[in-house]
Amino acid sequence: MTRSMTGLRNREGDAAYDITWPWSEGPLPDGLTCVFRVKNEARNLPWVLPPMLEAVQHVVLVDNGSDDGTPDVAREVVERVGATDRFTQTAYPFAVSRAGAEHLLTPPDSVHSLTYFYNWSFAQVRTAYSMKWDGDMVLTHEGVELLRDLSWQLRGSRAVVAIPRHPMTVESESVAWLDLGFRFLEPWVYPMGPEFTFVKGFEWEVREFPPSSERIVAPEGMCVELKWLDQDEFAHWSSTDFDAVRTPRKAREIAVHRAISEGRGDSFEGLRRVEAPPGVHVIDHVTGTWMAAATRPLVKRPDSLEV
Amino acid sequence: MSSRRVVLVVGPGRGGTSALAGGLQALGMRVPPPEVPAGDRAARGPAESQWVVDLHTELLGRANVDVADARPSAWFETGKLAANGLLRTRVTEWLGPQLAPVYDPEKDEDVEPELVLKDPAIAWFVGLWKGAAIRVDVTPAYLTPLRHVAEVVGGQERPSVRTAAWVNVMLHGERATRGSLRAFVRYDDLLADWTVPIFRIGTELGLRTVTEANANSMRNVHHFLDPDLRRSQHTWADVPVPARLREIAEESWQALTGLAEPGGDTDARHATLDSLREAYVELYEEAEGIAASTADAARREGAAASTGPDQPKGLKRLLGR
Repeated sequence: MTRSMTGLRNREGDAAYDITWPWSEGPLPDGLTCVFRVKNEARNLPWVLPPMLEAVQHVVLVDNGSDDGTPDVAREVVERVGATDRFTQTAYPFAVSRAGAEHLLTPPDSVHSLTYFYNWSFAQVRTAYSMKWDGDMVLTHEGVELLRDLSWQLRGSRAVVAIPRHPMTVESESVAWLDLGFRFLEPWVYPMGPEFTFVKGFEWEVREFPPSSERIVAPEGMCVELKWLDQDEFAHWSSTDFDAVRTPRKAREIAVHRAISEGRGDSFEGLRRVEAPPGVHVIDHVTGTWMAAATRPLVKRPDSLEV
Repeated sequence: MSSRRVVLVVGPGRGGTSALAGGLQALGMRVPPPEVPAGDRAARGPAESQWVVDLHTELLGRANVDVADARPSAWFETGKLAANGLLRTRVTEWLGPQLAPVYDPEKDEDVEPELVLKDPAIAWFVGLWKGAAIRVDVTPAYLTPLRHVAEVVGGQERPSVRTAAWVNVMLHGERATRGSLRAFVRYDDLLADWTVPIFRIGTELGLRTVTEANANSMRNVHHFLDPDLRRSQHTWADVPVPARLREIAEESWQALTGLAEPGGDTDARHATLDSLREAYVELYEEAEGIAASTADAARREGAAASTGPDQPKGLKRLLGR
C-alpha cells in the first residue's frame, strides 16, 4: 500500500478514490461521527438511523452498491427527523471482497479490499472522534444517552470504547429472540489520527490503536443487532462453513439462526423470546422498554467473545 | 417519556442548590432519606440524601477528581465511571425502591413520590443517574440554579482555581444536560419571589408536586426560602483572578443566565457556550503548560513521601546519611 503522511493511493490507480487523511489538513474539531458502510440495509435503517442521529454530532453513510433503495430510505429517514445538516451520504462504487476467504486473498491497497474501503470511509470523517457502526445495529434508549455523553467526554483522551451488542432475530412484528448466551464485545469508538487507521486481518479489517490507549467497556444493553428470520443473514460471507475457533461469533450466529428456524429456540441455551404488547413493534419494544427493565447481568454465561 | 420524575439539582456548592432543592422539598418533593444533617454549609439542611453523597464521595475518590475540579480532563475520568455497568446496576437498585408509593397525609393515600436528588458532585455523574433513571422508567429532569460566580467564590481562598472550577463545572454541566428535560433558574429570582420561577419550572418539567401544590405546601416554602438566605454579596472587586479567566467566567455567566429566560435554551446559545468551553480548555491547557514545573515538583515530592518513613529526610538526605 502506498502510504504517505497525507493519505493512501490504491493499486488500481483510481485517483478519484485515493485517500486523504482528514487530520493532514489540520486539527479536527471536537465531536463524534458515526460511519455506516452499508449494502442493502433499507429494511433496517428506519430503526437504526434515528437513535444514532440523536446520539452523535454527525453521521456518514457510505453506500456500497445497494439495489434495495438504501440511499433513498436513508435520505427520507434523515429528512423526517430533521437532521440533514448533520448527515453526509456518499457512495463507494467498487465491489468489495466478502469477509473470510475472499478478503484474505485481496491486497489491502486494492479498492476491492475491506481494509481500503474502511480507510476510505473513515477519511470522510471531520470530527476528532469516530465510530464504526453497522447498518443493522439499533441503539437502545440508554445506548443513545451513553453515546451522547461520550461524544463530549472523550475529548482529548485517546481512549477507545467497546460496546457489547446483543443479536436479536426478528421472527415477526411482535416476536423476537435475543441471544443472551454470549457476550459479543467489539471496540466501536476511536479517536481519529494516524495511529487509528485500518489494517488487514485474516477475515476482515482490523482497526489499529496504540497500546497506550485506554479501553472503556460500555455496559450491556446499549444496542441490539437485527437479524431477520426470513432473510439470508450470511450473504456477505464467502462461505457459511464457519470455523468455531477462528470465527466463533459467526458460528454462534448461524447456530442460533438454525435453532429458531427449526422451532428449537426455546431450548437453545441463552436464547430469550420477547413478545411485544399489541400495537408495538418488537424492535421498538426491546430498545425502548424491555432492555431497560431487564435484570442485569443480561448475559449470564461467563463466555465472552471479543472480536 | 415516562410521566414519573426525578429532579437532579445540578450546580456547584454555594450556587443556590440547597435553596432550590430545599424549596422543592418544602413543596412536597421527596429527598430520599436519610438526609445529610444541617451544618455550616446549609443551616436549614442541604436537602441531600446521605446515600447519594456517600456514593459520589466514593466515586470522586476512585476517579481522583475533586468536587470543585478545574481540569477539563476530569470529565473523562468521571465519565468512565458513569459508563460502568456494575455501577449503573448499583445506582438502579437504589433508585428503584425510592419511587415506591409513600403515604401522603394530605391525600390520605399512598402516592408515588417525585424525587429530588442534590449534591454538589452530581454534575460529574449525570450519565450514571440518567442510565439508572431509564432502567427504572422515570424521566430525569435537571435543574440548575444560576448565581453569579463572584458571589459563589467570593471571600474564599485560592480564588483563581475556584473561579476556574466554577467555569469548568457550569459549562460542562450544561453540556451534560443539554437535550434533556431541564430548566435554569436565577438565584436572585428565586429569593425575590420564588413562586414565579418555581411555577415555571414545575410547568416546564412536568412536576406534579408543583402543579398540584396546595396552600399548606406553599406556606412551607415561604418559611423555608427568604431573602436572608443570600449570605454572600461579593462582586468581581472581591475576586482577584487573571483577566482572561475573569473574562471567560463573566461571559459564561452572561450566556448561562440567558438559558433561564423563556425560550432561552436555544441552539445559538449552545454554540456560544461551546465556544466558551473551548476557550476555557485552551486557557487551562496554557496554564497547565506554564505551571508544569510546579506539578513536576509536587509529583517528585509525592514520590519521595511514598518511599516510606525509613528513608532519610532533610539534612540527612542532603548529606547522603
